[in-house]
Amino acid sequence: MKQNKKMIVCFLTPALIFFVAAFLYPICRTVVMSLFKVESISDPVGLWEFVGLSNFADLAETTIFQVAMINMLKIWLIGGILVLSVALLFAGILTSGIVGKNVYRAIIYVPNIINAVAMSTMWINYVYNKRFGLLHNFFTWIGADGLAKLDYMNGSLKFVSLLIAFCFGSVGYFMLIFMSGIEQIPGDVFEAATIDGAGKIKQFFTITCPLLKGTFKTCLTFWTVSVVGFFVWSQMWSAPLASEMSTITPFIYMYNVTFGTMGNVERNGGLGAAVGVVMALVVLVVFFVVGRLVKDDDLEL
Amino acid sequence: MKKHRGRVSKTGIKKQLRLLPGHLIVGIWCLFTLVMLFWIVAASLSTSPEIMQGKALKFETGLHFENYVRAWSANSISVFFLNSLMYAICAMVGSILISAPAAYVLARFVFKGNLVIKSSFITAMSIPQIMVVLPLFSMATRAHLSGSKILLILLYIGMQIPYTTTFLLASFSNLSRVYEEAAAIDGCSPMKTFWKIMLPLAQPGIVTVGIFNFMNVWNEYFLSLILLLPRRICQ
Repeated sequence: MKQNKKMIVCFLTPALIFFVAAFLYPICRTVVMSLFKVESISDPVGLWEFVGLSNFADLAETTIFQVAMINMLKIWLIGGILVLSVALLFAGILTSGIVGKNVYRAIIYVPNIINAVAMSTMWINYVYNKRFGLLHNFFTWIGADGLAKLDYMNGSLKFVSLLIAFCFGSVGYFMLIFMSGIEQIPGDVFEAATIDGAGKIKQFFTITCPLLKGTFKTCLTFWTVSVVGFFVWSQMWSAPLASEMSTITPFIYMYNVTFGTMGNVERNGGLGAAVGVVMALVVLVVFFVVGRLVKDDDLEL
Repeated sequence: MKKHRGRVSKTGIKKQLRLLPGHLIVGIWCLFTLVMLFWIVAASLSTSPEIMQGKALKFETGLHFENYVRAWSANSISVFFLNSLMYAICAMVGSILISAPAAYVLARFVFKGNLVIKSSFITAMSIPQIMVVLPLFSMATRAHLSGSKILLILLYIGMQIPYTTTFLLASFSNLSRVYEEAAAIDGCSPMKTFWKIMLPLAQPGIVTVGIFNFMNVWNEYFLSLILLLPRRICQ
């Protein structure tokens, strides 16, 4: 028993040290920092000026932040519905005993392993190009000239095009999670349903979907985390103007407000930390609400 | 497995015909993906004027393999490439070496705080990066460590720990306890049992999580952006 104690300590300590240094301490410090006005992010704590909750009040009144939050909410809600339903549909198709399952799965997953910078270059310069892009050519070919003439990288369409590109790349990842969830459902459940005369599609909606509650919960959490960390895509889409309103997200706003590369926003590390706290709260609320709404332990398999 | 690979029986063909709508939907999606991937490759072998005129797929001036040579040497991609490779490999190996023992202990032993550690790792996975980068950055600049490669590697390792540990925890709990019992009867100490028996047995999980870690660090952008460009940001 004594030997076990020594082993537990030896094996656990390195991981805990890294955890405290890379997560616990920074998280606490961000929370504290959000209550102060911090001119330069590298200032020592002595130079911080306590302002209470006024950073949060400032945030609530800043138009850019409001726009950023609304953008994020749109990505989360619309994108979430699109990505999760497409991923679930594909997972359903690929687990139905289709020939070439492994090939399909590999190809659908590939966009995930390609760097976001490369993917967005491809979308912007090829698919969405208004003179020779894939969409332009496709719509010209089917004769929809109105659609062919649209400029996908401008005005209100810019956000939609960003959303579609981002969602396209995310489907593969969630499809894999759904697939592993479906494969864990015992086969005899489906056999019984087939004997009782339920078709594939009916089985999908009445057996697969309800039994995937737990998987769905995981996916929703991962989706929220990835939307909150939305940075590279938005930056690619708004280059060269680093903080364009149509595609700004809270992460980009935080970056501008703390590191102030563009000079169009006042630099305040505390404000940046407040954005971080708000984002973390968003994730925790989603986490909590989903956990409350979806109980996955009421199923015995 | 009733069917042999590559030999589809008559009922099999019928089944695939019934699945035709599925084939169509997934097939179109895959076709689109392939076209896009092909375009990236084609564009890399083409010239800027050709890309700007929409002729990337026509190769009128031939294949320009010299693009790769130019990028590799003149634009010092080789340096960036080696940097990324070093970060990714170090972070992958480091995070597994640190997480695997922790995951094993958490999976096998009952002790005070076990559950707390497990759930804080799970919570840490859902904490957005935006929440931790600011203090990390300020600590790095205060310690005059920003721009240091070792710091970045350590940070990457730290970032991967919760995910790696949680993932390996599942692989270790799926292993049978019989192995440890046998080793104990033969007089092998618990620590030696871990390194000699349990770690090799968890290999499939380790390989999977290693690939994920490698990819995460390889494609990492934000941390290196703020931590390796100190002069531009904080004058």
